[in-house]
Amino acid sequence: MLEDDLAKLKESALAALDTAATPADLEAIRVQTLGKKGDLTQILRGLGQMDESQRAAFGALANAFKESFANRLAERSEQLKLTEMNQKLEREWVDVTLPGRPRPRGTLHPVTRAQNEIIAIFTAMGFPPASGPEVESDWHNFEALNIPPDHPAREMHDTFYLPPALDGRKRLLRTHTSPVQIRVMEGKQPPLRAIAPGKVFRCDSDLTHTPMFHQVEGFMVDEGVHFGQLKGLLETFLIRFFERELPVRFRPSFFPFTEPSAEVDMGCLFCDGQGCRVCKRTGWLEVLGCGLIHPNVLTNVGIDRERYAGFAFGMGVERLAMLKYGINDIRALFDNDTRFLTRHA
Amino acid sequence: MKITLDWLRDHIDFDLDATTLGARLTMAGLELDALYRLDQGLEMVQVGRLETVDPHPNADRLTLCQVRIGESCLQIVCGAKNHRPGDKVAVARVGANLPNGMEIQLGQIRGVTSQGMLCSLKELGLATEAEGVLILDPATPDGLPVAQALGRDDMVLELGVTPNRGDCLGVRGVAREVAALTGKGLIPLEPPTLPIEAPEAIAEVRLEDPIGCPRYAGRLIRGVKVGPSPAWLRHRLEAVGLRAINNVVDVTNYLLLDLNQPLHAFDLEQLTLPVVVRRAGEGEILRTLDGVERTLTPAMTVIADQARVLALAGIMGGAESGVTEATTDIFLEVAYFDPIATARTGRRLELVSESRHRFERGTDPEAIALVMERATRMILDLAGGKAGPVTLIDGGTWHAPAEIFYRPERVNRLGGIDLTAETMNGMLGALGCQVMPISGDEPRFMVIPPSWRHDLKREEDLVEEIVRLYGYDRVPTSLPRVPASPPVPDPQRVLAERVREILVGLGYQEAIDYAFVGPEIQARFDGAITPVRLLNPLSEEQSVLRTSLIAGLIESAQRNLNRGNGRLRLFELGRVFLPRAEDGVLEEVERLACVLCGPAEELSAHAASRAVDFYDLKGDLEALLHGLTGIMPDLVAGGPAFLHPLRKAVIHDGNGRSIGWMGQLHPAEQSALDLRRELFVLELDLAGLPVKGKGGSGEVVASRFPGIQSDFTFLMPERTPAGAVVAEVMALDTGLIRQARVVAIYTGSGVPEGSKSLTLSTVLQADDRTLTDAESKGVAERIIARVVERFGAALR
Repeated sequence: MLEDDLAKLKESALAALDTAATPADLEAIRVQTLGKKGDLTQILRGLGQMDESQRAAFGALANAFKESFANRLAERSEQLKLTEMNQKLEREWVDVTLPGRPRPRGTLHPVTRAQNEIIAIFTAMGFPPASGPEVESDWHNFEALNIPPDHPAREMHDTFYLPPALDGRKRLLRTHTSPVQIRVMEGKQPPLRAIAPGKVFRCDSDLTHTPMFHQVEGFMVDEGVHFGQLKGLLETFLIRFFERELPVRFRPSFFPFTEPSAEVDMGCLFCDGQGCRVCKRTGWLEVLGCGLIHPNVLTNVGIDRERYAGFAFGMGVERLAMLKYGINDIRALFDNDTRFLTRHA
Repeated sequence: MKITLDWLRDHIDFDLDATTLGARLTMAGLELDALYRLDQGLEMVQVGRLETVDPHPNADRLTLCQVRIGESCLQIVCGAKNHRPGDKVAVARVGANLPNGMEIQLGQIRGVTSQGMLCSLKELGLATEAEGVLILDPATPDGLPVAQALGRDDMVLELGVTPNRGDCLGVRGVAREVAALTGKGLIPLEPPTLPIEAPEAIAEVRLEDPIGCPRYAGRLIRGVKVGPSPAWLRHRLEAVGLRAINNVVDVTNYLLLDLNQPLHAFDLEQLTLPVVVRRAGEGEILRTLDGVERTLTPAMTVIADQARVLALAGIMGGAESGVTEATTDIFLEVAYFDPIATARTGRRLELVSESRHRFERGTDPEAIALVMERATRMILDLAGGKAGPVTLIDGGTWHAPAEIFYRPERVNRLGGIDLTAETMNGMLGALGCQVMPISGDEPRFMVIPPSWRHDLKREEDLVEEIVRLYGYDRVPTSLPRVPASPPVPDPQRVLAERVREILVGLGYQEAIDYAFVGPEIQARFDGAITPVRLLNPLSEEQSVLRTSLIAGLIESAQRNLNRGNGRLRLFELGRVFLPRAEDGVLEEVERLACVLCGPAEELSAHAASRAVDFYDLKGDLEALLHGLTGIMPDLVAGGPAFLHPLRKAVIHDGNGRSIGWMGQLHPAEQSALDLRRELFVLELDLAGLPVKGKGGSGEVVASRFPGIQSDFTFLMPERTPAGAVVAEVMALDTGLIRQARVVAIYTGSGVPEGSKSLTLSTVLQADDRTLTDAESKGVAERIIARVVERFGAALR
């Protein structure tokens, strides 16, 4: 009889496990089946009336039942957990096509970016960065650079003047970064090198000129410096900066503080030298001025012009930035429109 | 400087086309700025002969013309009145695209076919005004291109002449360059033979200012007939952009362009000899040719007679003494005026002229006699008259160019080239230099530059001449040798780069503003300092040097807001200019400014739509300064008047030094500037920040023993500064309070009006033991007691 009860219990309990819908149902079935007051306990109460030999056999049956119940319970528990997890997951849909929460990164100004790239290249080539004041003396901006008063070259620099200092000295906004050359060389002896970025000012404002812009000045003074090295240095720079092989040409020109002087042109980036609107159909873009430092400049800072020679170069940062990043209006650079700043970041 | 090929051929016979010539000159230092055909737009315009001129059948004011052009005959309707049968006219054929932009098409005019157009000078682009169609010389053959008939069959080269090469401001100078580049010889300039037909006509001259005028020559020519110049002369002047005036003036202009020597012709009737070259008297007045009255100073050299000033030496003639149609006798001047004196006078009077441009760059003092002879010859040929003898006065103040000693070895060394002395000497010779060897151990030469090359003064100048004639492009390239030690970084630059890095990470966009602003906006944002004003500003809006960055940044924000860019995070790094009170020295101080406004988050499906507030900007400031210095800044209520009185603070660095301010722009300023949003702004000094090094900041050993977190919620007056509460708690000398921070502030229901609930979260910890309950309770009691006592708080 007890065997029949056990068989029935097994059938009903396992069936109940199979139909349980939640882990809580499973627990209830476990308690109902194996608990202290559960069905199995009830059946086992009848064990006392059995004889020894039957009891042992029945005990084995009961244990087998417990084991199969436990196995099924574990299996079902796993299944239900999985189901429950799946249901939870099903409710947790995200729209992967929806943009993420915006974390807009800021932007560096294109002039800063270009300046940083220029400085990085020259620093890697051994030129330490230097700087100088934006309000300059006539001496540093002009006279020391071999531009005496009434020199026609002063017309190339539309200078902003300030009221003279209390000691009567002329003050002006520097028209180029070349005075930094003087400031680095004053009171020192070669070998000297530097690369100097900074703001410069000219009283000129139209479609292609802003009254303030940025230049980078570089120079080197040592024994044995010559024009061929200047050419090599600047060619290397331009190819690195524009990240492509470019034809570069050196053309005689005039700066009061260099002799010989040269303008540097590179093949037009926009037409590969075929001639277009940007290069005014010449195939060349003027990007740099340079030369060997004028002996008068060396003398002005107390450097022996026979023993040493030097070269110097200067470039407009806006021009290089506009060419590299494809900006066509210089005035937009100082307008600070966030749409422009974002587009050219 | 414009020249035409035809004109250049007067001086040198070269076999280069215009493009090649331009390229060669460019690579030698005379940059070709433009190259164009003179007959641009005239390609389809030919000379035609009017066969018949009849009234238009359907229009009274029009004529119907049959025009013969070689073999063909065209029917053309014309509205002009000055044409007659047999006239030679300029015919624009169908397809012509005239210089004034007009395109000629086959047309029907009042029912009659018109196969072209008869042109006026204006339509040909040769005059700004014209009456009727152009009637050509009857001898002009029909069918000839009009460009050829008008001497426009030529090319113009526009050359950029650098200030050191004033000698190339004449066609002869350019020809000299071409000669040196090509090896072709110049066509020699022989002085013409001139009979002195008026030996009694002495040009009396007194040279009283030999500094301003080292050489002066004058000559009288009597009985000239002033009138229009012949076509060839007018065409040449017009081709290079000069207006033809009359034969005498045109000759002076022609020689200015041809030989780079400005001349001046005075009407002899308007002056009394002798002509005096002297300094002006203080306050003397001259009305110059451009009609402007100019007040002179004794620093200026003038040409005068006994009665008055006649001309500004080397710059411009006077309005009263110039040559007119009525002139019969002239005083012709050819001089060498001092470059510096000319430049100084020109600059002081802000007077620009072709003459000044040349004298201040230096003309050729040795060419005066030759130019005088050629000018006289031309005037006699074109205007007639009889010439008197030349008066040439040498002030003895011009010194022939000094000799230059040069070493071919040094030229090679500086130029990075390897040429023989012979090659170099050949190049210098081609430029007009005399070269003589000097005996000695190393090869040396003495060079005397030609009188027109004022720029050749030293050995280095010859280096440039030799290297440029050799060709900059042929110089072999190499790289300079530098020691293998890395350059020392510039600390200012390093700091600026770190500031940019942190702010860009926080979402700020870098702006760059002009260093000068308008005085009004400057005063609005920094009234305490009087800014320095430029002596020559471009405009009032850019007239003073900024003493703060915020003015420019707020203007940038304003522009952005007006354009609908509403969410702004801008910063600028730059210098301000502060006049030092004691000595007026302008100190340049490196500053940072930020502007923040608009929604806290960019618009998106996820965004909480909250506008930024004070704490957004303060959070960014803390992130920045902590990132730079490792120390949190302290903010103390207060700050400039243009900020909201209760939402502003002075920023202190970790050492208690005030370094700037931050806050909300005062609503009154906001509305005065018409700003659509609340702006949060800050500005601080970057110099002197205790920037932390790249290395570690010293070992900090964390305690092994557990910390106990205890939170306290107090009720206290609403405006009790949270920072003061924290500071007070941290200052308790228990040695156990590791951290204290405010984690909640609450006002509203349950909190009495004027009070707030503040939750302070503390961590208590010892380095050497686990705290006992009694210990932590003791500390907690002290915390509560102190806050209650100091701030009138109550524990909730």
